[in-house]
Amino acid sequence: MSSNSLSTRMILWAAMAAAVLIAGCSASTRDISPDETIHYDESYDFTDKKAIVEAMVASLVTKSPLAARNDRPVMIIYNVANRTSEHIATDGITDDIRQKVMESGKAQFVNKEQRDNIERELAYQYGGNVLAETRTARARQIGAEYMLSGTLRSIEKEQQKQIRWFKKEMNYYSLVLELTNLQTGLIEWTDNKEIVRESSRPFIGW
Amino acid sequence: MIERQAVHPFWCHVPWKCVLFCCFFVFLAGCVSGSLTRARSDFFSGRADEAAKVLADPDEVSGRDRLLYFMDKGLILHHLGRYEESIQTLLGATWLMEEQDRISMGEQAASLVTTEWVTEYKGEYAERLMVHTYLMMNYLITGHYEDALVEGKQALKVFDRHPDACRNDYFTRALIAQCFEIVGDINGAYIEYKKLANAMPDPSPVAARVYSLGMQLGFDDEVESYRQYVPEAEPNGAGGQKSAELVLFVSQGLSPVKIPQNIVLPPSIRFSFSTYLDRSHYYHPPEIIMASGSGEVRMVTSDVGQVLKDSLQDRLAQILIKETARAAAKEAIAQSVKDDDAELLVRIVLFLLEQPDTRCWETLPGYLTLVRIPVSPGQHQLTVNTFDGPGGSVTIPDININSGPQFYFYSVFSGSITTTAAD
Repeated sequence: MSSNSLSTRMILWAAMAAAVLIAGCSASTRDISPDETIHYDESYDFTDKKAIVEAMVASLVTKSPLAARNDRPVMIIYNVANRTSEHIATDGITDDIRQKVMESGKAQFVNKEQRDNIERELAYQYGGNVLAETRTARARQIGAEYMLSGTLRSIEKEQQKQIRWFKKEMNYYSLVLELTNLQTGLIEWTDNKEIVRESSRPFIGW
Repeated sequence: MIERQAVHPFWCHVPWKCVLFCCFFVFLAGCVSGSLTRARSDFFSGRADEAAKVLADPDEVSGRDRLLYFMDKGLILHHLGRYEESIQTLLGATWLMEEQDRISMGEQAASLVTTEWVTEYKGEYAERLMVHTYLMMNYLITGHYEDALVEGKQALKVFDRHPDACRNDYFTRALIAQCFEIVGDINGAYIEYKKLANAMPDPSPVAARVYSLGMQLGFDDEVESYRQYVPEAEPNGAGGQKSAELVLFVSQGLSPVKIPQNIVLPPSIRFSFSTYLDRSHYYHPPEIIMASGSGEVRMVTSDVGQVLKDSLQDRLAQILIKETARAAAKEAIAQSVKDDDAELLVRIVLFLLEQPDTRCWETLPGYLTLVRIPVSPGQHQLTVNTFDGPGGSVTIPDININSGPQFYFYSVFSGSITTTAAD
């Protein structure tokens, strides 16, 4: 084999290797469907939120007391307490639950978050600048019959220290929701959704 | 005919690129990013605003020192009372710490033949713990109690992973217990207070809390031994009639800094390592003066310097193994050079490159004290005395305490008040 053809081959191989390397290093983006299940690690992510919301809403609207009611009782959602060791915005869970329950037509919700703004707007309307006949009547707001509240908990475990190439971690999440009758103080519905996930990551990298 | 050959000095045979490469590493060794040094200098001179401005752009700090950037900036912003910004900055540190939780082969290989300074700074265990400590303080002051508890749980993980390194950090343990207590998890609070009471040489600052929470949980027998520490005026250990509490985070002095130490063995083997050098030598327990009176003041203090020293000590075996491996690798490199003159040059360069890694979180205080003051509803003015001299007395005016069990958090830096607070 001549030295010329050898060097040509080497150049070709080097060029191919460089092309593969460059392709591997280039930035890329893609759209992901919210229905797709994706986990980068063991921690809480949007897929978990979706699974939790779907399971809890399915239980809430198909079990007593909401299943037996056709008059769309009024509910108020209080925060889901975050008792995990991650910074999780639990209002994302409650917002989605409220949306899904409303779509099911089984309940109505009091807008707790906007109470201050409602008060401010009504104060403006009665401040003298708004035509009397177009003012929103005061003291006509609807009181909630049920209160929805809950707690998100987690338990994390790491593999014991030992000689190994990969580190394994396991996370357990549990969301408990309860529906409390505001008149009687009784919990009329409760359910929970659990998620357990294990991940392993290499100890060594470049 | 004998051809006369020109004799060139040995350095002419050494490839110039190699020399440049070595010079670059010599230059690199022992350098902390310039903006970090400037910011620290401004902070220590009482110009915290300037220090924060110097650290405005993270790109001005080397990637190797990025963790120190987040740590120093987060602490400076905390002392400026810019708690939300401090939170975002320190969260950057926590994310980076998670990313750094692996061994980089490239870095390790480079550091084996050069110096530890070429590696990313990962922080001492105690420093990693302190990131969560400051996040807890920030979240408590801004009223984000659930987030404070999240950081408390992250801090517990550090305690669990490195118990010897962190065992003397009473302040952080008390803060974790406070986080459990404020969200109403009295079982969690009880466990943490009890761990703290067991760890402290004198459990009296937290014994009343252990007793009170234990009684609430029905653990009467378990907490009976703490009864002796509860004042007669507080039969339930709950602070008598005072239902609200002022909680102060008092920072004093400066934490120790790392200084280089060397052991030289012939022919040119240099073991280098760092030790901590104290910068604050005296601790003044904060004296609380309230004209309107208060319940019994309780304090839990961490000697941050001691915690940092314990932390470095905990890594000692790891440091020794790495140092021995580096010395062996460098000796092997030097011996592999055939030319005597070139070997001498290589030995000089490798010797100079052996610089101990003295990077550390320099803006940390020397002491952190958690002060709990039971107070009655109404308006109060409070003065904290830490030492005689300018800035040693800090006054927090007009604190309005509402009725009911509430906590009011303030952060006080010895030398000046750096903040105000939230309920």
